[in-house]
Amino acid sequence: MPALNGHMILSILGVAVLCGIIGLDRTAAGQFMVSQPIVAAPFTGWLLGDVTAGAVVGVTLELLWVLDLPVGSFVPADATVCSISATAIAALAAPGGADSSVIGFSLLLTVPMVPVTMRADSMVRSANSYLVDAVLNASGVEMETLLSRAQKRGLLRFFIKSVALCCVFIPLGLAAVLVFRHLPGFVPAAMSSFVKLAPLIGVASIARKLSILTVDRMVIAGFAVAICLSLLVHAQAPVVLLFAAVAGWIGAVYRERRT
Amino acid sequence: MNGEHNRVSIRDLMKVFGRALLLQASWSFDRMQTAGFAYALSPVLKKLYPDPQQYEARLRVHLEYFNTQPYFASFLIGAAVKLEQDRAEGRESEADPAGLKASLMAPLGALGDSFFWGSLKPMSAVAAAALLVTGSWWAPFLFLFLYNTWHVGLRLGMLLWGYAGGGNAVELMSRYPFTRMARRFKIISLALLGGIVGSMPMWRQEFKITTPLPDVAVAGAGLTVIVAAVAVMRKGGSPVKLMLGLAALCLALAYVGVVL
Repeated sequence: MPALNGHMILSILGVAVLCGIIGLDRTAAGQFMVSQPIVAAPFTGWLLGDVTAGAVVGVTLELLWVLDLPVGSFVPADATVCSISATAIAALAAPGGADSSVIGFSLLLTVPMVPVTMRADSMVRSANSYLVDAVLNASGVEMETLLSRAQKRGLLRFFIKSVALCCVFIPLGLAAVLVFRHLPGFVPAAMSSFVKLAPLIGVASIARKLSILTVDRMVIAGFAVAICLSLLVHAQAPVVLLFAAVAGWIGAVYRERRT
Repeated sequence: MNGEHNRVSIRDLMKVFGRALLLQASWSFDRMQTAGFAYALSPVLKKLYPDPQQYEARLRVHLEYFNTQPYFASFLIGAAVKLEQDRAEGRESEADPAGLKASLMAPLGALGDSFFWGSLKPMSAVAAAALLVTGSWWAPFLFLFLYNTWHVGLRLGMLLWGYAGGGNAVELMSRYPFTRMARRFKIISLALLGGIVGSMPMWRQEFKITTPLPDVAVAGAGLTVIVAAVAVMRKGGSPVKLMLGLAALCLALAYVGVVL
């Protein structure tokens, strides 16, 4: 674990600003999905020289949170802040490439981050009410000026929220990794296993939300196609997954015709 | 009544589209997308109503409560532009953008949430995760391509559609069978989830489970874990609780010397 020197502080601040910018895509601007963990985490990892940590964090958190829907007034977990922070913690704690135990521990650290991000998001959204009230209470040219200002201030608040959260989470996470390194040997070993099994929980989470069945036939069909192609034909992964998707498409059309 | 020179041009619509991307910039619990909607419309309103008092009155109309799916909002923004233009030109005095917004924002919101958040986004994410887990570094780009081809295309298309049809939602639904597409995307996502588990022997090193068992048995065990996890979640377990449970299980296994 490197010392908290000037370079480290600059890296943390850089990641925080990056998170602030990418985080705007989450709700406030565009929603082109660059804020999704599967994009944001590998990108952060690439910038910090550890794409692997970013890919592992990105896949796991994407699968876990993709169906946490921002419907109505519900504020979902801020997977952007969580994924960027977890990637930064892993990459900065082990320059040159974090091992799977550190990545696993960083992933686990996102669990306490989730309620904090939700609370911070709620606070920003509550504070935004005053911006719109000010527009409604204005008149004439001032109304247009305040409307434009409300939008800019809203963006700024969402940006500051993400930056502030990263500035808190990453140093705390790095300190936690320092403690983690002094734990008995079975704990890092457990975290290595955790990394390998966590994506399965993500897969289960999506399957649970997309189907009313515990064992959906489409999951089994995709599984069978993948097993056959990968083990019998030794096809490349993209080909295997393409055929699984085609099987899904055929299944969808078949279900439509039956009903 | 305003002159021909105040007609809405494609350039104006593009300006509205650009501003519609900031629909939720000042999202709040009580007003939700209200300010974003008025902000998107304001350049067009200013052009259509050069009289400051008229402009203010029309802007105030669009500062009434508004909330829908942010992409589908483009349809209502386009329709509002059209109705305001008709009104400014005195062609249709009964035009009521506020009524249109109030009647359509809930159904369009439900449809958009189901299509974009509930089916297109998970399908794109699952496809990308399936590739990334097997070592394809370009998977995030695939995710962005799959999602944004639909997102940007429909968002821009719906703005123009809303403007051209003046808010004819029935025609929109008949042209784009969103419900059917959502159902298909969900089924494809489920098949891809099965594909992720079936391709476990091909997972990259960081995810690969090291065991003397044959590949088929590893994949079968993965499927069993998923079915068990789904069953637990159906009884009230959340992904966060399951993650904590998994961490505890891994600690217990590692303590007795079992490491995957």
